[in-house]
Amino acid sequence: MHHTHLSRRRFAVLAGSAGVAPLALTGPNPLAAQGSDQLTAEAVVRRIQTKLGGDWPSTSPDGFKAGDPGTVVKGIATTAMATLEVLKAAVKANANLILTYEPTFYARADGAAPAAAGRGRGTFGFGPDDPVVKAKREWIDKNGVVVFRLRDHWQSRQENEMVTALAGVLGWSNRRIKSDDALYDIPASSAENTVAMIRGKLKLRGGLRAVGDKKASVRRVLLYPGSMTPAVMWQRYSEVDMIVAGEVREWENTHYAADMFAAGEKRALVTIGRVASEEPGMRACADWLKTVVKEVPATWIDAGDPYWRPA
Amino acid sequence: MTANEVVGLIKKNATAPWNERSTRDRFKAGNPDTTVKGIATTMMTTFDMLKRAHAAGLNMVITHEDTYWNDPDDTKDLTANALYKLKTEYILKNDMVVWRDHDNMHATKPDYTVVGELRSAGIKGGGNATMRPGVLTIPETTFGEFAEQVKRSSGARAIRCVGDPKARVSKVLVGPGYATPRMTPEVDVVIGGEQQEADGGFDNVEYVMDAVSLGMAKGVIMLGHVISEQAGMEDFGKWIGIFIHGIPIQFVPAEEPFW
Repeated sequence: MHHTHLSRRRFAVLAGSAGVAPLALTGPNPLAAQGSDQLTAEAVVRRIQTKLGGDWPSTSPDGFKAGDPGTVVKGIATTAMATLEVLKAAVKANANLILTYEPTFYARADGAAPAAAGRGRGTFGFGPDDPVVKAKREWIDKNGVVVFRLRDHWQSRQENEMVTALAGVLGWSNRRIKSDDALYDIPASSAENTVAMIRGKLKLRGGLRAVGDKKASVRRVLLYPGSMTPAVMWQRYSEVDMIVAGEVREWENTHYAADMFAAGEKRALVTIGRVASEEPGMRACADWLKTVVKEVPATWIDAGDPYWRPA
Repeated sequence: MTANEVVGLIKKNATAPWNERSTRDRFKAGNPDTTVKGIATTMMTTFDMLKRAHAAGLNMVITHEDTYWNDPDDTKDLTANALYKLKTEYILKNDMVVWRDHDNMHATKPDYTVVGELRSAGIKGGGNATMRPGVLTIPETTFGEFAEQVKRSSGARAIRCVGDPKARVSKVLVGPGYATPRMTPEVDVVIGGEQQEADGGFDNVEYVMDAVSLGMAKGVIMLGHVISEQAGMEDFGKWIGIFIHGIPIQFVPAEEPFW
């Protein structure tokens, strides 16, 4: 690729291999499209960066993961996880720039060479010669698709779309207690009825798991898309009747919820799946894109609940 | 015999070198000088499990997993936590003592957690399995049928599967707990306890979804952490019974936490 007009630092962020300093977002955009028919993937990403503003951490995993950033964009698709099925659906919908919240190539390394520590042990990442990695890359190149990971930069929006969008899908938009906290007071119902409602609204299959008191009366809920650490769990579980998180570690947070139940606490912890918890936020991302990239359509494509339970 | 003496005998009889720097394999609660009336072996020291061990007259718990809801059982941020106080007071009040054997168990041949995981999954020939037992061959079947068999056999309520139920499978790779192994081109099915769903060292979930999309026969079965390492703690109890005499030793399972 030739990007002599990009500063090295700026390019590093664009390419997902950032240097030490955060990206400065000043000055005219050197990649501005000459006309709407020439809007490149790079130009779209530049515009997203400018519009989102805020900090662009140098440790971010965000960046182009596959395809040619110089590709002229016909349409944009957002998703929590750019699986091959999502990419196929995107192409069918005439989108060729995919913005994904999670990796495309099955590890945080996301197609880059695995970390040295993993070499030889064969447990970290999937190398470029892996047949699935290879086939996905070939498919992406053949179909002229560009994949950009948009995680940290989207997550850091002040509005915290990941939370508000999840609340929106659950029908709780006007139930938020404070604008700066993910606490919601919902119409009181039993934990098991609340879980059934969540399963239905998010179209979950086997990915939802609940622990705690089924009969607890649930009114106050903490929404926590993504992964929740034990420290957050210890601090916040006693404030609420239910935590709805993406994922936790079972010997840590799930264990804590099980012990709270054994201690007679009437609460429940519900994990809906990391990706499932992030999809509403990426739907909101598509809606937002429509307001900042008006030249091409933007659509959200659901990766779906990956899990099923055998009979 | 004191709890400390029990641990001394376990260390003496261990066949894998003991790592004294392990943050896991240590006393976690109670007084190591407590006289042991009975030993409960378990996958995880849940509060519910502690109560059942106490009711059975067993005051020493040997646990594979943590007691205080974080991997190294670090309690510095928990001193004001009501549940921490309740659980700890229960242990002390009832003259109980908790000791963890995790790292050494996984370093031992056989690794009882994996032996137990294979048995509870209904996979034969794993009696001498190590933590990384390699690729095992099962009679060819569909992934859906195999998953049903694993569910029936293990009793895991909250078992989760990714992959095409109609795919023909026979090559299986198993790992315990969070050590769910990485899918490889040679393997049809990976079985583990749990794994970060995405953005980790390797993401089996998305990998398998894409492999299925490409027409490859692949699947992942997540048993749940407790179920995956549960059965092996009964084997561990039998092993310590070889050199610990005159004290009742009983397997007290941790409950599967999910509805």
